[in-house]
Amino acid sequence: MELTYWWILPLAAAAVASSCWRLVRAARKPASVRPVAHRERLTALPEYQQAVRRHRRWLTVATAAGALLLAATATAAARPMDRGTFQPETRNRDITLCLDVSASMGSTDAAIAAVFEKMAKEFNGERIGMVIFDSSAVQLFPLTDDYRYVAEQLETARKAFDGDASGSFFDGTGSGEGSSLIGDGLASCVKSFPGTGNAGRPRLIILATDNYVSGKPIFTLEQAAQLAKAKGIKISALNPGDYDYGEDKTQPGAALRAMAEASGGSYFALDNPDAVPGIVQKVQEGEAGILQRAPQAVISDNPVIPLSVALLAGGVLLLAGWRLES
Amino acid sequence: MPKSHTPSTLKPGIPKPSLLKRVESKMFIFAHRKTLVLLDGEYGSVFKGRSLDFDELRAYIPGDEVRDIDWKATARHGAPLVKSYVAVRRQNVLLVTDTGRNMAATAASGETKRDIVVQALGVMGYLAHRHGDAVGLVHGNATVTRTIPARKGEDHLERILREVDQHTNLDGGPSGIAHQLDFVLRHIKQRSLMVVVADEFLPGPETETLLRRLHSRHELIWFTVHDASLASEPGAGETEIPDSIDVADGAFLPALAVRSEAVRAAYATASREREARRQDTYRRLGIAEGNAGSSHEVVPALFALLEQHKTRSQNGGIQARKRQHRAG
Repeated sequence: MELTYWWILPLAAAAVASSCWRLVRAARKPASVRPVAHRERLTALPEYQQAVRRHRRWLTVATAAGALLLAATATAAARPMDRGTFQPETRNRDITLCLDVSASMGSTDAAIAAVFEKMAKEFNGERIGMVIFDSSAVQLFPLTDDYRYVAEQLETARKAFDGDASGSFFDGTGSGEGSSLIGDGLASCVKSFPGTGNAGRPRLIILATDNYVSGKPIFTLEQAAQLAKAKGIKISALNPGDYDYGEDKTQPGAALRAMAEASGGSYFALDNPDAVPGIVQKVQEGEAGILQRAPQAVISDNPVIPLSVALLAGGVLLLAGWRLES
Repeated sequence: MPKSHTPSTLKPGIPKPSLLKRVESKMFIFAHRKTLVLLDGEYGSVFKGRSLDFDELRAYIPGDEVRDIDWKATARHGAPLVKSYVAVRRQNVLLVTDTGRNMAATAASGETKRDIVVQALGVMGYLAHRHGDAVGLVHGNATVTRTIPARKGEDHLERILREVDQHTNLDGGPSGIAHQLDFVLRHIKQRSLMVVVADEFLPGPETETLLRRLHSRHELIWFTVHDASLASEPGAGETEIPDSIDVADGAFLPALAVRSEAVRAAYATASREREARRQDTYRRLGIAEGNAGSSHEVVPALFALLEQHKTRSQNGGIQARKRQHRAG
C-alpha cells in the first residue's frame, strides 16, 4: 500500500505535535488548580483508588483511540492507494464458421448458427467470420468483433438453414461445377483469414460437412488442409453424416477425421444436431486463446482500512468520553 | 532562607497594608461589639491567678489608659477617675504556628489557610495587646523553627503577623508542627498562654506525650484551621470542585476522579471519623480545641475555645484534686 500524498503525514504529525506542545504549555500554567494539603486523606481511600484506576483506564483508552483516530484520518487524507500490476487478457481467437450448405447439412448448420448466435453475446475479443459453401464459397461476413452484427447475421443464417429464409441467402454457393466441393470451401475459409503466415492469434475453423464430394474441386481436402497449416489454423470438423464402414482411410468420415486431427483440431461425428452445443462448447474450451498483454501498472484508491479504523477509533473515543464524563 | 532572620523586610518606602488593621476590621465586621467585650473577658480569665481585683479609684493622670477610666464614678465625681487593680500580672502569650507549605494550601472556605492563621493569631494578639501582655511567636516547618521573642505593642504584633504571612508560602518547607512544639518545650521556660494554630493535625503517640508535657508547663490551647474538602458531600449534586495539586509534592488530583458518589461517600465518612478521632484526642489530652474553616468564623471559634478552656481547666483542677483526694 502506498500513499498518494505522503507529505500529509509529516504535516499531520507536525500539527499534532504543535497542538500537544501548546496544550502542555497551557497545562503548566494552572488556571483553576487549587493547592491542597493532606491528599492522602483522599488518595488512601480504596474507593478513590478504584475511581482513579477506572478514570486512568478510560483516559488511556481515550488517548489511544484519539491517537489512532488522528493517525487513521491522516492516513486516509494521504490517500492510500494500491499499486498493482494488471495483465490484461484478451481472448483473441479468430473463428471462422465454415459451413457446408449442401442439402444434407441444413439442421446441423442451423444448430451451429444457433450456438454461435448465443455465444456471440458473451464473446470478448474474439473475432468471428462465416463462410458458407456448396460448389462455391461465399463469405457471409468477414472476421469481426462486432458481435451485434454477428448475432444478426447468425440469426439470419439460422433461419435460412431452418428453411424459412428468403431464397437469396444461398445465392452464390452454387456457381461452381458440382456440389459440396469441400476442399474448395475449406480453402476459401482458410483464405478468409487475413495474411499469409501465422498471425500469433489462435485460429480455428469449425468445419461442418459430411465430406461427400460430388464434382471436381480445385483443392482437395488435403491441399486445403495444407493451406490451413501454413496459416496456423486448426480445423475442427463436425460430421453429421459419418456413415463410414470399416477401416478404410479413404472413406469420407475417416478422411475428414484424419485431416482435422492432423491440423490439431478435433473431429466429431454427429448423430443428432442437438449434440452440437456441447461439442462447440468443448471446441471453445479446448482452444483457450488468451493472449497476455504487457502488464500495466494500476493505481487505485484504497481508503477502506484507514477509514474503518478511524470509524472504530471514533466510536471508542466517544464511549471513553462518555465514561470519563459520567 | 537567609531572609528569615531579617523579618523587617518591610521597606519604609512602600507602605504595606497593615495586617493587624485587616484583622481588626474583620473582627469588628464579623463579631458583635458585645461578643468582643465578652471575648476580652474570656481572655482575661484564661490565666488562673491573674487578678482583675478592683483596688481603688484614683485620679486620672495623663498617660493612663482611657479604657481604665471609670465613667460612672467620673460622672459622679466630676473629674476623671481611673480604676486601678491589685497585682495585675502581665503574662506572655506565645503564639505557635505552622508556617510550612501545608498552611499555604486552601482552607475549607476556599481562602488560604494562612489567612485564617493570620486572623486567629491577630485576634489573639489583639486581645493580649489590649491586656498589655507581651506576645511572642514560634513558627516554622519541619526543617526550621524561627522565633520572635515576646514583646508588647501593636508594632510588634504587626511584625509577628507579617512574619507568619511572609513565611507561609508554597515554596516553604513541609509542615511539621511537632518540631515547633518540641522547640517550645525545650526553650521556653516561662509559663505562657500558648496558642497553637495548625491545620487538621492528628497528634501521634509521641506528639501526644509532647502535648501532655507542654500542657503541664503552659496554658495550652489549640486552634485548628480546617482543610479544604477534597471531595464534595455525597448527594450534593454536581458541585464544582476544581482540580487540585498537593502542596507536598505537586501531585495532581483530577476533579473528575472525585465525581463518583461512592468516592464522595467514602471521603465524607473518613472525614467524619478523622474529625471525631481528632476531637477525641484533644479531649483526652484535656486541651481545649477550637476550629474554624474561614476567617469569619475565627472570632466565635476563639470565643468558644477560651470558654471551653476556662471550664476545662476548672474541671481539670477539680478532677485533679479528686484524684489527689482518692490517692490520699
